[in-house]
Parts: sequence; C-alpha cells; structure tokens
Amino acid sequence: MIMASPIPVEINHRKEKGVVRVTWEDGHVGEYGCGYLRGYCPCALCQGHGAKIKFVEVPDAKLAEISAVGNYAIQFTWQDGHNTGIYTFDYLKSLCPCPECNRSKDR
Amino acid sequence: MGTVTRDVVLEALKKVQDPELQRDIVSLGMVKNLEVTGGKVAFTVELTTPACPLRERIQEDCQKALVGLNGVTDLQISFGAQVRGSKTGAGQTDLLPSVKNVILVAAGKGGVGKSTVAANLAVALKMHGAATGLLDADIYGPSIPIIMGVKGEPKKIEVNGEFKLEPPTAHNLPVMSIGFFLEPDQAVIWRGPMLGKALHQLMADVHWGDLDYLVVDMPPGTGDVQITFSQQLKVSGALLVATPQDVALADVVRAKSMFDKVMIPIVGIVENMSYFICDGCGKKHEIFSRGGAERAAKRFKIPFLGEIPITSSIREWGDKGVPILVREPQSEISRTFLEIASRLAGQLSVVSEIARRAQSLKIISS
Repeated sequence: MIMASPIPVEINHRKEKGVVRVTWEDGHVGEYGCGYLRGYCPCALCQGHGAKIKFVEVPDAKLAEISAVGNYAIQFTWQDGHNTGIYTFDYLKSLCPCPECNRSKDR
Repeated sequence: MGTVTRDVVLEALKKVQDPELQRDIVSLGMVKNLEVTGGKVAFTVELTTPACPLRERIQEDCQKALVGLNGVTDLQISFGAQVRGSKTGAGQTDLLPSVKNVILVAAGKGGVGKSTVAANLAVALKMHGAATGLLDADIYGPSIPIIMGVKGEPKKIEVNGEFKLEPPTAHNLPVMSIGFFLEPDQAVIWRGPMLGKALHQLMADVHWGDLDYLVVDMPPGTGDVQITFSQQLKVSGALLVATPQDVALADVVRAKSMFDKVMIPIVGIVENMSYFICDGCGKKHEIFSRGGAERAAKRFKIPFLGEIPITSSIREWGDKGVPILVREPQSEISRTFLEIASRLAGQLSVVSEIARRAQSLKIISS
C-alpha cells in the first residue's frame, strides 16, 4: 500500500534570501530556492503531458504568495501571476534539495 | 513471575504500527477497553474502517508485542471499527454533517463505467460492514436507478420540523438520484443555475442519516457539477475511473488538474475494462491494451487501487438492476470489487489522518 504522506509543519518564505524553508513533521528541514521551485512547477501548462517531470527555466522567478490547498498540498503564486501549480506534500518532499535527500534521489 | 500493568501493556503496544497510517496504534487512539486482570489481558483494536485491509497484520503484530511480556498468561484481542471523517476542501459549509466521508467517483470523460464502479463499490463497502449510501449526481444521464433497480419518486418525510426526501433502499443501500424525478425518456436540458439548484436539493434535502461513506456517481468531465460539489460539500476525496488505453493519461491529467483546482485530493485510480476472459477459450484478451491507468497513477503518484475486467455478466446484471456483487458475491469480479473497496477505505483513513495533522501547518513570511 501507499505510504502516508509527509506533512510539513512550517513553510517560511524568507524573502531577502529568496528561499522557501520547509520544516517537516519529523524535524527535517529543506531550503528551496525560488527559481528551483518555479522550474519544477507541476502544472500541466509547465509540464505538458510528458511522462517525466522536467525543469522549466523561468528567469528571475519571485514568489508573491503561499497558500495551503485543502489538507494535502501547497499553492505558490508567483509575481508574474502564475499560480496553477499545486505542489502536493509528497511532491514537495520529493523536490527537497538538501544534500541528504539528494543522495537518495531516484527522481 | 512479574505482574502486568496497563502501562506495561500500552508501552508494548506502542511498538505496533498501523501500516497505512504509519504511526503506532496507541497514539492513534485505536486501543480501547483495555482490561488487565492478573495475567489476563483483553482489549479492542478500533480500526479506522470495517473494510480494513490490514486487520490480520495488526492482530499478528499485537500478539507478537505482548506474547513475550513477562506475566501475560492470556490474551484476547477483539476488533471494532469506527470510521473517521476525512472531509476537506474549499467548501465553506457542510451540507451533510451526518456523513463522515464523501467520495466522488469521477472520470475525465464519459463511457468508462463510472456508474457501474460507483454502484458496486458502494455495495462492497456495505458488505464490509460500513454504513454506506449512493448518490447519483450524473444529471445528464442518471443510470443508478437502472443499475440498482429502483425507480419512482422518493417519499417526503418530516425530520425535526423540516421536510426531507427519504432515499429509497436498494440492495440495503440508501440511494438517491435525479433520475427519480424524471420520466424515463426525459432529458435534462437545464442551464447552469438550474443544475446548481437541483444538485443543492440532492445534497441538502435528502435525509441520509448517519453514514460512514457516501459514494457519489459524478457526471463525466470537468465542469459545473464538480465545482458545485466542491463548494457546497466537504468532500473527502475523488476516485478516478480510467480505461487502459494510452489516452487514459490525458483523461487523468484533466481530471487531476480539475480536482487540484477545487482542492479535492485524489485517493485512487481504478482501471475499468482492463481485460476480457473469453468464456470459449479461457484466454485473457486485453481489448483496450492494459496498464494505461496504472502508468498514469505512477506518473502522478496516485494510489492505483486495481483492475476490473470486462465481463458480460457485469453488464447483464447491471441492466437488470442487480449489481454483480449481490448476484454473484463469490465470483472473481466481486472479489476484485471487495478488494478495491478495502483499499479505498484504507486510503480514506490515510486522508483523514493527514487532514487532522495538516491542520497545524504554519505559513509565514520573514
């Protein structure tokens, strides 16, 4: 069966550093650069219908707003108005760029 | 020989995990009625659904955890189930407070067998022992009255001074459908606002009573009805029905992006019409190829809950108003439905646990 999703307890947009810091229930902390998050936007506009998630470069991506979606995902609204990406907790966790997660990555 | 105390037993049971919720059964509050008298230990494990797929495993793990304890001479584990609510989403109001879980059975397009799947899964959940209802929201082509073999206008009854519609019962399930209010050959040609009103009535004015699960057969596609549902009901999750072709991926993409928009989590995908077993040669024919839905599930990390074959009996008995599960409960296809219902119930338990935990999320900007 499917594993229970990881749950974030805090999402902190640190504006001057241009990063989003996510603290997970188990204490794990990951810092996501805004450009990195935007590039891996999971929406169909960015990803099309391909089978693999790809990185779509968006120069100078700035984050405007973060909101919770239901009880299972996060929506980022970017300053250019793009807001169709719904990052499920699972997906967000799979993107975690910290060295520890990167080592065990099979994305 | 040492004496056993409640604390010792609880401490030992903390090593037993619910494999789906991935937390121990003590902190999940699943251990009830614990009694320790001398060396006798008795308790009830309250599962989060009577359709729990993992009951035997939990029982085994409990035994393993306690058998080694010093002083335990007798062990009695019984099982109960208390379905937990998992309602989430953007809906501001909850029109159905007495219903714990609302599941939308949906697809990105028509003709994939949503209604058949919805009806049989509702019957399966009921057979597992959960209080279940079935709501046909397919306003364009309500087929639940035919599949479940019920017709006629529901009775009006008075509940707490208000007039409500009493859902007729078919095969032990309360059933409501817009089809009950239409002549058989009449088509629904309403515009949006009328649709919204009719749906609102189907949700608010029906006396469902206490239900663990309400299975909703959605109209095909991505539109008005789906939005109305997400805004007026607290929906637990959506179950997508897809067919095996490669275009299934495109349908799933559509349905997923819609449910993301309205903030309803997708709790699973089932593949319908997966294969046909020829009654002449006994060979499995994969008419529409196979595995498209499973690939789509992998791609979007949605739980894949199972494959349902095409058989002529499912169609035949559906047309006669008897779901295959009622007619041939021992058949392979019925077992498939029961298994899928278990997995669905398990996923809803996971969703409810996530919903509870996610409530404490803090979003800040510094």
